[in-house]
Amino acid sequence: MERAPSILLIGLGGAGCSMVSRLAPALPAEVQVLRVDTDARSVAEGGAGAALQVGRAQTRGMGTGGEPALGAVAAEAEEAALRRACIGPALVVLVTGLGGGTGSGAAPVVARVAAEAGATVLAFATMPFSHEGERRMRQANEGAIALGQKAHGLVFVHNDLLLQQVSNEAPLSETFAAADAWVGGALRALAAAFEPGALVPVDPVALRSILASPGSPTLFAYGVGSGAGAALQAAHAAGSCPLAHAPGAVTKVAALFVYVAGGPTMTSNDAFEAVGAVRQRFGGETTTLLCARIVPDFGDRVEVSVLGASLPFPKPAPKARKGAKAADAAQPLFGFATEETIRRGLFGGTPMTFIEGQDVDVPTYIRKAVRLPGG
Amino acid sequence: MKPKSKPLPSLIAVIDVGTHKTVALVGQLIDGKARMLSYSERRTDGVVKGTVTDLEKLQRCVHEVVNDVERGAGRALEEIYLSMSGPAAEGERVKGIISVPAADNRVTRQDLSDAVASAKRLEPPAGRATILYMRQPTILDNRPVVNPVGMTGRRLEVLFWRVTMDEANLRLRVGMVNAMSMMLRDFILASHAAACAVATEAEKQGGVLLIDMGAGTTDWILYYKEHILCAGSIPVGGEHLTNDISVALRVSRETAEDLKQRFASGVHRENDLNQTIWKDGDRGLGDQQFNRGTITKVSSLRYQETLEFVRKDILRQLDQIFPEHPTKLDQHLLPSGVILTGGSANLQDATEAVQLVLGLPARVGVPAFEVESFRKPEYAGVVGMMTAAITDAPVPVRRPRGFLATLRDLFRF
Repeated sequence: MERAPSILLIGLGGAGCSMVSRLAPALPAEVQVLRVDTDARSVAEGGAGAALQVGRAQTRGMGTGGEPALGAVAAEAEEAALRRACIGPALVVLVTGLGGGTGSGAAPVVARVAAEAGATVLAFATMPFSHEGERRMRQANEGAIALGQKAHGLVFVHNDLLLQQVSNEAPLSETFAAADAWVGGALRALAAAFEPGALVPVDPVALRSILASPGSPTLFAYGVGSGAGAALQAAHAAGSCPLAHAPGAVTKVAALFVYVAGGPTMTSNDAFEAVGAVRQRFGGETTTLLCARIVPDFGDRVEVSVLGASLPFPKPAPKARKGAKAADAAQPLFGFATEETIRRGLFGGTPMTFIEGQDVDVPTYIRKAVRLPGG
Repeated sequence: MKPKSKPLPSLIAVIDVGTHKTVALVGQLIDGKARMLSYSERRTDGVVKGTVTDLEKLQRCVHEVVNDVERGAGRALEEIYLSMSGPAAEGERVKGIISVPAADNRVTRQDLSDAVASAKRLEPPAGRATILYMRQPTILDNRPVVNPVGMTGRRLEVLFWRVTMDEANLRLRVGMVNAMSMMLRDFILASHAAACAVATEAEKQGGVLLIDMGAGTTDWILYYKEHILCAGSIPVGGEHLTNDISVALRVSRETAEDLKQRFASGVHRENDLNQTIWKDGDRGLGDQQFNRGTITKVSSLRYQETLEFVRKDILRQLDQIFPEHPTKLDQHLLPSGVILTGGSANLQDATEAVQLVLGLPARVGVPAFEVESFRKPEYAGVVGMMTAAITDAPVPVRRPRGFLATLRDLFRF
């Protein structure tokens, strides 16, 4: 019996589409690809998977010109088509770059439509470089808050962090390789949960339950190891993965999904050892779901992916008092790891301070992409 | 208008509202010297990065320090001086030029006041009000002179450093002082005040740069040939150092502040990496260890970047003042080097960092004051305000439009 793919990977906007196109050739069969953009050329040329051009009427295929309101309208106009695409897959992985128009504006709409269609939505959002200026950073923050309220899980990929991963002499094309590796790792891990034949299988329903409620802090980490002790090495690499190590990111979560994949020589013991190390680093006291898989062409390589969510923040009790501030209702659920708190720390919530186009409230070492000793 | 020679009130009260702390000093003027009567210091509330975010909280805080000093002085304050710092106050150079009318080209007192009047006729940009004029050299036929009256020349130029402030911001501050039934006598530029406390006349005469890095902002002021040449402010301060450490080590603000004071540095050295430091030091439950290299790396990057911003700001302003000769920040312009004040001057190796970034020798400015706890660089501003309040009051050319006149204008529409 033919089964519909369980995971739909949506690349949204310019950044999202190009990342999806780079990832597409190496994706597991469980993953179906959909590229969504306002720019007609990007939709036509991207190549991989199905494509959907949104906002034909609004943008005439020219992109949004960095205007999130236009991006949102464009996506809303194609809601029916988006919904059709999202019916079926259990999991929708949304990859987008925030800061521009399509990503920041359309992402919350796509996440909402997918969630309404019954899918669990995990979003990977790249945040602009500090040097991209005030407007893009503001739009990215606003987009992140809106997206966080709609998606079940939201993982930030900070472009500034990407710069720290590569040496100063590395070509520009390598800058995004780390982000591709992270998102690719996440997709393989998620797909593995839906494919039969795992060494230690995991119940897909339980996996979805980890990301049950929108607005709870999401953790994702990825690490690779090879040679002797590869599994443990990969677990430690995941422990120091910049995504989980980013300032302000979630450090301990209650529910954890750990995926360990290795070559034929990997034993269950190796896998459990790796899980132990991951749990020590990230928690997972209430639930730890383990999925281990043998991938023949991995050789002595082992990869570990960690996905987790802590319990959602309790919603504030409704105030009975008359004349209570109306703003309470609009308070974001998203009281945690927004772009603000991740990079601006104690200055989160204050107006940004721009000098030479950079938000100087963001620590200098992050803006200058300096890798810290021991970090 | 005739120069005012109003006798100074016997009580001089200065209040320095910073991002981190609010300090008030009250002194009594006896034989031209201030004798300290009382002082008070409180943690500032409602100011973030040098900008007022919660007026009510700030007002409460200022009210408390005023109550404290009034109790200490044994009498109510009638008028106060308020410090002025941060990006809310912008400075620019204004010029008044006249050609000397007398047949023998002798400059009269009237010529001087005409030139001053013409300099002050220049309107500030829309939405901003002038709060201070500070004297810069007077130039007679392209030669700087101390007092041109009686000298001969054709072209008389007077220069002022004019500080303007956003009108809304000004109203807020005036309203705050008036709400406490006091008058705001004048504003004092905080960086200038700090220089009054720590720079000698000889240093100002030769050329000196003062960098006052407080909690929220870094203010700088450059003196050349005794006068203020230019001044500016960068919206980055010691809190940014704390924040960077807090973000990098994932520790609370309090812990980051403590680690900053004990281990941060203006310069990162390789052997810092070999030092392991403890948060509490008792190695008990909850104690954490960090690599000192991480702290010095984070703090030196931020500190040196801030100095770099200051350097670029100074060069930008110097370019406007001397468009024809590119001016360099070197010992020729600033033989007395750099003086550091403000809380961040306590940072280890701060002077080395200045040497590295600006290429100028630096020293930490500690004010001389009768109360020992004020002999620290972070109090240079408030101590200097006292000096500035006394010495600046009888300036030879009073500005024709007093501060009150500015206010009257403000509230008329």
